[in-house]
Amino acid sequence: MSDLDRAIAQLRACRPIPEAEVRELCHKARELLIEEGNVVTVTAPVTICGDIHGQFHDLMELFRVGGDVPDTNYLFMGDFVDRGFYSLESFLLLLCLKVRYPDRMTLIRGNHESRQITTVYGFYDECLRKYGSANVWRYCCDVFDYLALGAIVLGASNTLSPSGDGEAQGSEEDIEIEVCNADGQIMSQFPRQPRGAGNSINRQPPRGRSPNGPTRLPTNTGPPGSGASGSSGGSIGNPAGAVLCVHGGLSPLIDMVDKIRLLDRKQEVPHEGAMCDLLWSDPDEIDGWGLSPRGAGFLFGADIVKVFNYKNDLSLIARAHQLVMEGFKEMFDTSIVTVWSAPNYCYRCGNVAALLELSEDEGGLGIFARSNGDVNRSDGGLIGGGSGVPGSGPRGVLMENDLASLKPGPARRYRVFQAAPQDSRGMPAKKPVADYFL
Amino acid sequence: MMAQPVPHQTPDKKRVKVYELRNNDWFDRGTGFCTAAFVTIEDGQPKEPRVIVESEDHPDRLLLETKIVKDDGFQKQQDTLIVWTDNGVDMALSFQEADGCALIWKFIDGVQQTFQSVMGGPDDGLSDDIAIEMPAAIQLPAADLGTLCELESNMRIMSSTANGRDALTKAIMSDDYISKLIPLVEIAEDLESLPDLHRLCNIMKTVLLLNDTSIIEHAVSDDCVLGVVGALEYDPDFPSHKANHRQWLNSQGRYKEVVRIEDDQIRRKIHQTYRLQYLKDVVLARILDDPTFSVLNSLIFFNQVDIVQHLQNNSGFLNDLFSIFADPSEEQLRKKEAVLFIQQCCAIAKNLQPPARQNLYNNFLSHGLLRVINFGLRNLDVTVRVGATDILVSMIDHDPQMIRHTIYRQIQEKQQPLTDTLIDLLLVEVDLGIKSQVSDALKVLLDPTPPGGPPETRSEFIIGQPRGRPQVAIDPQQELFLTHFYEHSAVRLFKPLLDLEKRAELRFNVLHDGIFGYLNDILCFYIRQHQHRSKYFLLQHNIAQRFNRLLSCKEKHLQLVAIRFFRQLVVLQDDFYIKHLADKQILGPVLDVLLRTMPRDNLLCSACLDLFGLIYKENIKELIKHVVENYREKVMALSYIDTFREILSRYDQSQGFTAVVEPYFMEPEDEVGRRPMNAGARGGMMEHLTVEHQSHQEDYLNTSDDDDENHARPPNQALLSNGNNTTKPLVEYTSDEEGEDSGGDSVMTTGADQPLPDDHAKENQAPPTTPGSIAAVTPPPERLSEKRRREEDEDDPIDKLQYHKRRNSSVSSTNSAVSVGSTMGLRKKKAFGGSRDASPNRGGPKKIAISISSTIKSITAKSSTSANEDSGK
Repeated sequence: MSDLDRAIAQLRACRPIPEAEVRELCHKARELLIEEGNVVTVTAPVTICGDIHGQFHDLMELFRVGGDVPDTNYLFMGDFVDRGFYSLESFLLLLCLKVRYPDRMTLIRGNHESRQITTVYGFYDECLRKYGSANVWRYCCDVFDYLALGAIVLGASNTLSPSGDGEAQGSEEDIEIEVCNADGQIMSQFPRQPRGAGNSINRQPPRGRSPNGPTRLPTNTGPPGSGASGSSGGSIGNPAGAVLCVHGGLSPLIDMVDKIRLLDRKQEVPHEGAMCDLLWSDPDEIDGWGLSPRGAGFLFGADIVKVFNYKNDLSLIARAHQLVMEGFKEMFDTSIVTVWSAPNYCYRCGNVAALLELSEDEGGLGIFARSNGDVNRSDGGLIGGGSGVPGSGPRGVLMENDLASLKPGPARRYRVFQAAPQDSRGMPAKKPVADYFL
Repeated sequence: MMAQPVPHQTPDKKRVKVYELRNNDWFDRGTGFCTAAFVTIEDGQPKEPRVIVESEDHPDRLLLETKIVKDDGFQKQQDTLIVWTDNGVDMALSFQEADGCALIWKFIDGVQQTFQSVMGGPDDGLSDDIAIEMPAAIQLPAADLGTLCELESNMRIMSSTANGRDALTKAIMSDDYISKLIPLVEIAEDLESLPDLHRLCNIMKTVLLLNDTSIIEHAVSDDCVLGVVGALEYDPDFPSHKANHRQWLNSQGRYKEVVRIEDDQIRRKIHQTYRLQYLKDVVLARILDDPTFSVLNSLIFFNQVDIVQHLQNNSGFLNDLFSIFADPSEEQLRKKEAVLFIQQCCAIAKNLQPPARQNLYNNFLSHGLLRVINFGLRNLDVTVRVGATDILVSMIDHDPQMIRHTIYRQIQEKQQPLTDTLIDLLLVEVDLGIKSQVSDALKVLLDPTPPGGPPETRSEFIIGQPRGRPQVAIDPQQELFLTHFYEHSAVRLFKPLLDLEKRAELRFNVLHDGIFGYLNDILCFYIRQHQHRSKYFLLQHNIAQRFNRLLSCKEKHLQLVAIRFFRQLVVLQDDFYIKHLADKQILGPVLDVLLRTMPRDNLLCSACLDLFGLIYKENIKELIKHVVENYREKVMALSYIDTFREILSRYDQSQGFTAVVEPYFMEPEDEVGRRPMNAGARGGMMEHLTVEHQSHQEDYLNTSDDDDENHARPPNQALLSNGNNTTKPLVEYTSDEEGEDSGGDSVMTTGADQPLPDDHAKENQAPPTTPGSIAAVTPPPERLSEKRRREEDEDDPIDKLQYHKRRNSSVSSTNSAVSVGSTMGLRKKKAFGGSRDASPNRGGPKKIAISISSTIKSITAKSSTSANEDSGK
């Protein structure tokens, strides 16, 4: 174990570990990851992070702002590598921490965790440069294949935990969203409002609330509850509703979270299909599904998110994948949020980054039977039964008034931070090729 | 900054989009309003004719400000388009209205006419400058520490406009300003004046980012390079740091010369290229903009072309190089370096045009490259093995046929064929990189399809549909090669797998158990490619059982390998393999794995569920039957999972003939009979089928594969439950064959979506079998995925990647594929199309296509990336 701690220390200093150690680390990680389901269950409190993209020094800044491992329980939503100059150190450090503190660190796969993408966007070249061969890249790619595709956060509280500096804690108000700066000072707070009443942090006006309802909602099935209605499934001790974390977004092939569990994920990210969509899709201001300009995945609109959340008893989808200048962006009546954790992306975009903190439900109800490893299948067979049995159609019906009763999101604290101060890092630069013949 | 342009003669503002050609794609710079006018640039100077576009969103921002110059070659195309070249960049203005375009064009044309008349015809660039009174004669302040501040701000201002950049570039080159700046670095260092050093760094950055080829070439020349990178060591963004570029570039040891290159100019080019790479990767990496990046890349590329061309035509040099390997007394280090040298040559060659590359390889081969590869592959030093593998793979990437001929010759001459060397290497190699490259090589070399053809379609298909290539007919050499391989080498290759039978205990060394993954990969490829040979091999050596053994070892990743293999056999939907799986009782142990792991939700579980989900979705009744009949208890134990409950119920309902069929959904019996045998192939949308489907599948399950049985079967079993229509079905029996070639699942889908009253059924039989109507009623999600597949046909993700590689932020391209010249890229594209065309089914082949793409990708990853570097030039 001391070897691992030594490796962590070395990586924290932004120095790569020897190839043999990488191999060993990757083997250990594989043993660990193989035991994880395609959708890992994580219990709050948890700090959710978006893209890192090899910006090692900013990752260290992230740990400074969000708390160190294992004190803080982290969930990283993929895209650890490419673009930045320290993909190797960043990914290996996260992997080391995963192996060292498996329960305090969750890593899920992003679209950049792929052989094909990394050959083009820098990780391959970086490994080649730093080790003189692509072996380390291959070890890492093997680990990529084992990474989970998503995570479900359970037991998140409707109220925020104290943020540390005590300011504004006495407030009577029920705070739903709090934005802090890197030093923990509160920048803004938003009290909880009835769902759908609009929220000042929303950049989008509430949509699809015309008397006729959103256009794409299923209308061809029986009354709510005829399957098992969404709320009966997970309401036990899960007052805030679950949060689904995935790198990209939804897939037209996945209507239930449990369907994600049926994929054989150990493969290169395919060019199409459910697995591809989860890693590539983006929410967009459209109705229903649209073609993605990325050439993989889909665009999906507010109606899709709301129906999905309703059917799966989710209060929120957290995803990454898109640069947002403010670090985070809530959309569609706060039914989905983009979290971005690479400040000053590519060392020149000028954006800030953010973390999303979900606190633990203190009522003791936060612990939910569905833990990583054991199944929701035992009830999936009952609840989810509606979806699988041909004939019953999509489970439940989403009526207009159901949308209003969508689970309220958990209380969310965003910590916004900037790129690491210049002096804390060396000059970001790629390592040059040593010898040359030509 | 420059004064806001004062409209002189103001044509109406016209709404326009500004485009710039970047790497063969028109990049949208934004929408704005266009004006064309004479504008005052500096007091006292004559006004200049300019075209200006103000951003629509940010009126204070200019999208475009370009001076109308005679040789820019403004052209009006169609009614709304004006195109020209600005500093070597192709630009275009696309007007919303033809009127606006006409107005602007009138102005431009007028100005250009004036040029023509003043100059009186074509002229050189010099007089051009005079004619439009460009601020050619800008004077840079004398290079001196005292003027740095002024210089820095002047440069920043000038570099913000195209004209300023032009002028600056000319001034810097004509005054050799870089050489004047360089001494200042040392002076400032001596004075320890950090502010001056920071200014020098900024100035040097500005100079390099002017993005001018001659400036950059000058900057990396022997005289300047150390001074230039010296200035760049003091980056004001990192005030407390100093880079050590000079130290790095100055250490002479970095250049290795295996055989002396006599030509000074080539030697200089080699150094220059290295410096350019250093500049690109290290010094400027953080601040590079797209144009400078591509300028650096093209400089590097052209240098490399020159260098390689020079070397390969220099036979004295090649003789010296290759004779190193012939001399037994030569020291190992020199041989090693010679291998690495050739490796680097081959890496560069990937960027060359195919004929030039072919030339190089031919030259290498004729000088004895094979001996080098053989030497390298068996070398104890891992770097040498990596080098030799790289060399081999780059040649295979270029033209596998070339290597196959060699192997054929070796077989004829009773030498050990290269494939056997590769096999030996694969089995003992510890280096993961070599292993995976060798494994890829073993796939490509044994791919029986001709180069350029669709590598993954069945070989019968190739014979049937010649693609107009000379080697289309199956090459007798290739046949012999394959036969030889299966007779002699296959057992050798798959030995670790075959040995599993004898192993009492399944304990694996973590260093060596990776071999099963590779063998599985290779075998799956062979199964897809070598029809009868691989079937025979599988049968003869009981391969499925061997994989089955892996299920009982404790390493989960090895169990996964086995499940992957079985999945491949299922995906093919080949009766032989389906029967094989059933005969060998493979699925029982897989169920055991599931039962063993099931309380947990892990990767192994998902893989098993995926396998059974596939069997259910594709409705592989042979296996459904097999599983339920042989392992009913196990299936029952798992029936809390949807997949297994459905498998059970599908089997039971069809078995018991008790299915309740909704009356309105009743179809004439022949609908059942005419379903093609392989109708099961369908995508992942099966879950959405309704109960009506279900009953149909049950009927279908009862129909046997055999036509005779089909007829013999009680024809109206489905009718028993429904007395409504009694006689029609029998009448329609004749149409059995008609439906053979229609997609069976689609037929069913059609039926579900358009339930037919039974008395209309007869009239409506025909429409559901025509493909057109099938498409029309396919459920929406399916349509989506279809649509996307179509899109991929035009522009598949690989091309997308290449497109991105060229650092273009726009994503709306559709023509990016055009510039890809690599044959491998082409191959891959065809592989997509080919496999899709080859199969009448929808769902099944789609999955196969996925696995194809990953295989081919791994083979072509290198070549395709290099291809796009090529096209980026």
